[in-house]
Amino acid sequence: MDGHGVRIELRDLRKVFLHNGRELVAVDRLSFTVDPKEFVCILGPSGCGKTTLLRLIAGLESPTSGTILLGGEEITRAGPNRGMVFQEFALFPWRTVRKNVEFGLELKKILPEEKRELSNKYIELVGLRGFEDAHPRELSGGMKQRVGIARALANDPQVLLMDEPFGSLDAQTRNLMQMELLRIRESAKKTVIFVTHSVDESVYLADRIIVMTARPGSVRESIDVPIARPRERTSSEFIDIRARVLELLQEEFEKTRALEKTDLEQHHPKRKVL
Amino acid sequence: MGYWLIEMSPDKPQWLELRRLLISAGSIAIFILIWHILAWWDHQEPDVVVIAYPGEVFVTLINSFVEADYRTYLMHVDIVASLKRLLLGFLLAIGIALPMGLLMGYSYIAMAASKPIVEVLRPIPPLAWLPVFLMLFGNALGPIMIVFVGIFFPVLLAVIFGVRSVPPELIDAARTLGATRLGVFRRVIFPSTVPYLMNGVYIGLGVGWMCIVAAEMLGVEGGGLGSRLWASYETGNYDSMYASIIMLGILGVLTTELARILSSRVRDWMGME
Repeated sequence: MDGHGVRIELRDLRKVFLHNGRELVAVDRLSFTVDPKEFVCILGPSGCGKTTLLRLIAGLESPTSGTILLGGEEITRAGPNRGMVFQEFALFPWRTVRKNVEFGLELKKILPEEKRELSNKYIELVGLRGFEDAHPRELSGGMKQRVGIARALANDPQVLLMDEPFGSLDAQTRNLMQMELLRIRESAKKTVIFVTHSVDESVYLADRIIVMTARPGSVRESIDVPIARPRERTSSEFIDIRARVLELLQEEFEKTRALEKTDLEQHHPKRKVL
Repeated sequence: MGYWLIEMSPDKPQWLELRRLLISAGSIAIFILIWHILAWWDHQEPDVVVIAYPGEVFVTLINSFVEADYRTYLMHVDIVASLKRLLLGFLLAIGIALPMGLLMGYSYIAMAASKPIVEVLRPIPPLAWLPVFLMLFGNALGPIMIVFVGIFFPVLLAVIFGVRSVPPELIDAARTLGATRLGVFRRVIFPSTVPYLMNGVYIGLGVGWMCIVAAEMLGVEGGGLGSRLWASYETGNYDSMYASIIMLGILGVLTTELARILSSRVRDWMGME
């Protein structure tokens, strides 16, 4: 397929939110590069700014300072060259599967036959043939996310941004969807940035895992995953990397806890936090 | 609101369904019986009879479709006149409340500019406008404008609420798929507001129905159930008065029922839960 990955460079990103009148630094001094067609998983303790990072790349938020370069060009707003897949699917409930997949294509003003051909291709790719005319409410969680993936891919983006896309699925569906994602990626070669909570998921999917620090989020460490696919979750190399990532994550998790403790103590000085 | 009259439960056994219908029929019979007793009691003092016998009222109601005296129209002429006012006021209300609600829900400036005016005008009972509207718009258009006012605010509020209730992730999704601000408005915010609009229509129709009758009672030309009711009262034709009231009840149930079915059809057709 016509996939064409692109290099993404994050340079010294900082994003500050105002939260209840206080400044909350979500990410700070965050820099890394993702190679064309690379599959990168972002891991980190909760509240470390993983989702913020993804939204910044998508252009749904703009950084307080720093730049994001996509193939050398700075990102200033959301655009169809970066497709996004959401944890809660974010399908348009009044549109059928086909009309959901065609949403981005409708905006591109292409010929109706071409539109149909493309939606057929991606519906087929994610294994939803026969469900073209179903509405999202009729689909299971896994099928909904297949629609989400097909909808993002149909736009032929250079980058696929995935925000815990399998986070709300049950364990079995989740494993199946991971296999499916790798299969889909085989044919639609894209740069993928995949945010997840699951160490197991990241080691299974990624070419490289970026572990983020506790808030404000920046890069703690970047770990290559040089395991041939298909990967066995029980192989020794898989377990080794998994242990290494878990260890890093545990350290950052402790820091997050300490951070929350001081936060709480500052706000409720009389309350002891254990 | 009235839906229990028509709703059937397909999964219930038939004898339960039959029992339900029998109970309903029984309660209607008791209602008519009590009415009859009250009318009889009222007729013991023949000088001032206020309560007509139900049987006579029903005969009058049926007859009103075929015979009219020189003062009145045939019943269906009055029905059509009232429904026409309701429909026109209704279309006008949607035509203005829908774009205005979309704009107020979406744009901070539009909201800030319109909110104080809307908040002041909204609590005014629609009928308070009748003298003003009769002067401004005349006998034909005045009552329609009253219906318009009655329906306008429920629809406006429903649409604003609908815009506010659009899940933000749907807007995010549309933006990452390449939609501009206008595209988000047209392809996400507008369609997800439709079920809320239908809800506003459902509520608005009830209010509009009340408005039209009251407006017609206060003197308009060209017939209508409200003026029929009022004319019957003034000429002491109480059978006809009660017949008009019963007709209003029947039409009220039918119009809200129609709105309810329409609204659930639209939701279904749009694939909404």
